[in-house]
Amino acid sequence: MRQESTAFAATVTGRQRPPGGTGWLLLAPLLVWVVAFVVAPAAIMLVYSFLKRGTLGGVVWEFTLDNYAAVADPTYLTIVIRSMVFATITTLLCLAAGYPVAYLIGRASEERRNLLLMLVMVPFWTSFLIRTYAWVTILKNQGLLNSVLLGLGVIGEPLELLYTRGAVILGLVYTFLPFMILPIYSSVEKLDGALIEAALDLGAGPLRAFARVIVPLTSPGIAAGVLLVFVPALGIYAVNDIMGGGRVDMIGNIIENQFKGNARNWPFGAALGTAMLVAFAFSYWLASRRQRLAEFGR
Amino acid sequence: MRRMTCIAVAAAMAATLLLAGGRPAGAAESINLFGWSEYIPQSVIDDFTKETGIEVNYEMYASNEEMLAKLFSGATKYDLIQPSEYVIEALTKEGKLEKLDVVELPNLKNIGPEFRGLPHDPKLEYSVPYMSGTVGIVVNTEKVKDPVTGYRDVFQEKYKGRIVILDDPLEIVTWALHTEGLPPNAVNKENVEKVKPMIATWLPLVKVYDSDSPKTALLNGDVDLGIVWSGEAALLYNENKKFQYTLPKEGAHRFIDNLAIPKGAPNKTGAHKFINYVLRPEVSVKISKEFPYTNPNVEARKLLTPEERANPASYPPGNPKLDTFRDIGENAVLVDKAITDLKAKSGA
Repeated sequence: MRQESTAFAATVTGRQRPPGGTGWLLLAPLLVWVVAFVVAPAAIMLVYSFLKRGTLGGVVWEFTLDNYAAVADPTYLTIVIRSMVFATITTLLCLAAGYPVAYLIGRASEERRNLLLMLVMVPFWTSFLIRTYAWVTILKNQGLLNSVLLGLGVIGEPLELLYTRGAVILGLVYTFLPFMILPIYSSVEKLDGALIEAALDLGAGPLRAFARVIVPLTSPGIAAGVLLVFVPALGIYAVNDIMGGGRVDMIGNIIENQFKGNARNWPFGAALGTAMLVAFAFSYWLASRRQRLAEFGR
Repeated sequence: MRRMTCIAVAAAMAATLLLAGGRPAGAAESINLFGWSEYIPQSVIDDFTKETGIEVNYEMYASNEEMLAKLFSGATKYDLIQPSEYVIEALTKEGKLEKLDVVELPNLKNIGPEFRGLPHDPKLEYSVPYMSGTVGIVVNTEKVKDPVTGYRDVFQEKYKGRIVILDDPLEIVTWALHTEGLPPNAVNKENVEKVKPMIATWLPLVKVYDSDSPKTALLNGDVDLGIVWSGEAALLYNENKKFQYTLPKEGAHRFIDNLAIPKGAPNKTGAHKFINYVLRPEVSVKISKEFPYTNPNVEARKLLTPEERANPASYPPGNPKLDTFRDIGENAVLVDKAITDLKAKSGA
């Protein structure tokens, strides 16, 4: 099972050789990027979360822990849990819908594979917001879907599709599906067909071969896809506003409001952001630690 | 409407980039204008440049708070901003606005008396009203047959799932204050607690919260009534007369968006020229034709067609009870929290 663990080994074990001078040089652009756009913003957010609110937005340079006291409020807990439920459902649906697609693409002949991959990426050529508004025209009361169903006589009254929870989930799955397909595809592509044949020859049924051979061998892709879908799905708020009518707040909405809404409470927004970041980093650490332990125990 | 959709911003930004690319590089005089999206017609800006030779770098925002954030980041030195009345008050309090030079603004005389002497800037020393509007009730009269004249009429059990309202905590709280007969600007802990139970019964009835384009849900037939910006209602009315606008009998918010010069603006002269240009009746009327809000420029109003003047959303008949917003300072935080709490409960 060497192949299975490589993706995680690269990040969680110290078995690799440390990079030499050229290595650092090659890494430099990435490091600059990470420092400028990941470390620095996170540091600013952390600092702001301990300051006081400025009257016209911004911060006043006085230390306080009030923002974190305000974060520990049942309302925000409810909202975080709700956001996690939505993100989890989205991730599971993306996995269910994305895995077969990724598998088919990965096992297709080379020219068909390139065509199919391009089709997966075509939506990215249009702005995400425009694609989301397109769903409004499909789902609205007198929209495309209702008109077709009414025209075919399938329904007698327009269905209530837009501004529902289902619409939000649909929008999220639609938005994030490619992020599930692409990493799984790259795992499937590397899959050694001989191993599957061996499993079948040795008496495993197709289901068993899938569960015991194919899934473990593509698990790095699954793990990457789950992360790539779950994390942004947790923070996104535009889909909720446009397709859900903004009726229930997601944690992303709450954070946005602290900067762009009436409250102008930057430090509190920063504290919410920091709390989410810490919670996520902690659960990621736990998950990868468990993974490592499982590997050593094998 | 006033906080319009991001699509239009994106489109406008793309257009700006294209224009910027085609512009000859020169040291021509320019002003940096930071205004609401979908609020200043491009033709007005182009004509101003044609006449004065002053280039206008037009950037857009979707909320007052977004404007403040970018203004104080200092990345761009803006010459003109377009804040709403309560933000003018807050900015003036902090000494963040340049005092206007009235001598350079002869067209200021065109501003009507009802837009003078208001608490945010009683003498119009720091701001000039650009466009005004109200927040009121719009009803699809084909679907809603009963008269709807106040907030209580909107929030009825029978309209559950058929209502759109602004996604704006302060607006929602002031509607409840009006309904309870409390002064709309007495936004404090005590009063917010007082109106919370009423708002708690309202929110579960709402289908859509939208400040950017509340007309969309009405136009699409997804909802039948709502509380929206008057400009949105005016556009709906122009689309179809079945959309009728009423100002709530309990009282309503009159918002005034203004032009103002931030402290330290590099081109104050150019900014004054632009304000004075926009105040010309023949220019101001062009803005009204594209964005049918209430024009504070009484001379410009005279140039509107009788039909445009008869649009009840632009120029509400009668003598409605209207209040502008005041700066509520720290209390904004508890308003935000109150609505977040109530929404979290209603959406469960």
